[in-house]
Amino acid sequence: MDKLASLLHTTPATAWMVAKLVIVFGGVFSLAAVWTWVERRGAAMIQDRIGPNRAALFGKIKIIGLAQPLADGIKFFFKEDLVPHDANKGLFWLAPFLALVPALMGFAVIPFGRSFVSGGQEYHLALLDPGNGMGLLYPLAIGGMAVYGVLVAAWSSNNKWAILGGMRSSATMVSYEIGMSLAVVAIFMTAGGYDPSEVIKAQGHLPWAWNIVRQPLGFIVFFACMFAETNRLPFDFAEGESEIVAGFNTEYGSMKFSLLALSEYCHMMTASALMATLYFGGWQVPFVQDPSVMLSVASFLVKMLFFAWVYVWIRWTLPRFRYDQLMHLGWKAMLPMSMVNLVFHAWRMSQGH
Amino acid sequence: MGVVVKKVELNWLDRTYVWPVMKGMGITIRHFFRQIFTPSAKRFTIQYPDMKKEMPAGYRGLHELKRFEDGAIKCVACFMCQEACPARCISIEAEEFSDLTFTQGFEEKRPAKFTIDMLRCIYCGMCEEACPKDAIWLRKDYEVAAYDRLSMQFGKWDLMNTYTEADGKERISQDPTPSVPRRTIAM
Ligand code: SF4
Ligand code: SF4
Repeated sequence: MDKLASLLHTTPATAWMVAKLVIVFGGVFSLAAVWTWVERRGAAMIQDRIGPNRAALFGKIKIIGLAQPLADGIKFFFKEDLVPHDANKGLFWLAPFLALVPALMGFAVIPFGRSFVSGGQEYHLALLDPGNGMGLLYPLAIGGMAVYGVLVAAWSSNNKWAILGGMRSSATMVSYEIGMSLAVVAIFMTAGGYDPSEVIKAQGHLPWAWNIVRQPLGFIVFFACMFAETNRLPFDFAEGESEIVAGFNTEYGSMKFSLLALSEYCHMMTASALMATLYFGGWQVPFVQDPSVMLSVASFLVKMLFFAWVYVWIRWTLPRFRYDQLMHLGWKAMLPMSMVNLVFHAWRMSQGH
Repeated sequence: MGVVVKKVELNWLDRTYVWPVMKGMGITIRHFFRQIFTPSAKRFTIQYPDMKKEMPAGYRGLHELKRFEDGAIKCVACFMCQEACPARCISIEAEEFSDLTFTQGFEEKRPAKFTIDMLRCIYCGMCEEACPKDAIWLRKDYEVAAYDRLSMQFGKWDLMNTYTEADGKERISQDPTPSVPRRTIAM
C-alpha cells in the first residue's frame, strides 16, 4: 500500500481510501449484477427448470451462463430510451439514481473484515472508519431514503399503476421501519454502542454468543422488515406485476430500468451485509479467536452471500401478501414483537445480565 | 345457491407463520438441490438444439414418398391424397411409363410432379390414410422450417429423399425407367 501511494504521489491513507471505494462499490455493484443471474438460475432450479445457461463469452466460453448479466447490460444499453409524453422529465431521469445511490451508500459503514496494522498505520476494512459517530444509524437512515427512488420514479412517470406502486411501497416502508428500528435498538442496547465494530466485538467469535441466539425474536422482526425495506417478495408492493402491471417502473425502459433493477439488488446486498453484521457476528469467524484478515473477509462474504441467497430463496417460496395483510402484519405483529423484544432485553439488562 | 366455504382450522404452530414458511423453504430447497444434482440429460427440460425429443409412434411429421428397392416410386398418381387433403396442399401431375419388372408389362402411371406445400399442410395424416398404395407416410421429422417460402414447396424428389439420411438409404433424383412420350389419341 505504501509503494502504491508513493507511486501515485499521495499519502497511504488517501490511496487506501480510493482502493476501498473501488473495492466496496465495485464489489457490491458487480455482486448485484451477478445476483441477477443467481436469482434467475436459482428460481429456475427451484421450479425444476434450467434457467439462463446460454450466454457465452465470445460465443464460445459458456461457464454455466455467467455471462448473462453482461449480455443483459449490453442489451439494456442499446435499447430505445423512452420518456413518456407527460412525464416529469427531470424527476424521471433522476429517479433511478435516487434509487441506486442510497442502496450503495448504506454499505459504507459496514466493516467487511478485520482491521489490521501495517507500517505503523491502522487500516480499517470499512469505508468509514469506526468511531465516526454515525455507526449503524447511518445505513438505517440511508435505507429510509431508498423509498424516495421508488416514490419519485412512480410519481414522475405519470402513470396510475406506477403511483399506486409507489404509494404502497412508501406505506410499507413507513410501517416496517418502526419495527425494524426498535429491533436494532435492542442490539445497540446490549452491545453498548451503535458503532458496527462495537456490535461485532460484543458478539465475539462463538456462534452461541451471536445476536441471532441472544435475540431470535429481534432477528425475525429485522429479517422480515428488511424484506419490506428492499421491496422484495413477499413484500414487493412497489411492483406487484399481477396487480398493477409493473408498479413503479411501469414506464421505465432501457438503462434506466436496469438501474432501478440493479438498485434493488444492491439494496439486497446492503441488507444482507447488515443482517450479517447485526445478528451473525459480522466478520467474526466461528471458533477462531483472532482470524487472519483474509479469513475474516471470507467469513463476512459467506455470511452476506448466504443472506443474499435467502432473499432469492424466499422470493421463490412465498407468494405476495395481500396489502391489508401486510399492514396487519406490520402494525399488529412486527411492531409489538419488536417492542416485546426491546422491553425484555431492557429488563434483562436491568437485572444485571 | 350459496357455497359453504370451509374454514381451515390452523393449529398454533401454523399460525406463527414462521414455521410454515420454513416448511415451504424446505420444499423449495429440496427441489433446488434435486435439480442441481440431476444430470442435464435427465432433467425435464429438453435443451432443444443440443437434445431432441424422440417422438412417439404414430407421430405425424414430415412426409416421405416411399420407393421400391430399385428406386421406383410407389405412388401411382391416383390423386386420392390430393382429394383427401383438407388443406388442399398437394398437387400432382401424372405421367406414364413402361414398367416391365413389377407389373405385367403394362403401361403404368406415376407422378411426374408431386408437390406438397408444407406451409399449408396441417399434418393431419389424411393423405397417408387415403393412399391405396401405402406410398406416402408421415414420419417423425418435425424440423420443417426454411428461410423462404419457395423452399417450403417440397417437390417429388424432395419428398422421396426426406428420410434418406435417417434410414441410410441413398438419395435418388431420377426414376429408374424413363417415361413414355405422351400418346396422342386419335379421335
Ligand atoms: S398431412 Fe393432411 S394437410 Fe398435409 S398433405 Fe397430407 S392430407 Fe394434406
Ligand atoms: S394416394 Fe398414394 S398413390 Fe395415390 S397419388 Fe397420393 S401418394 Fe400417390
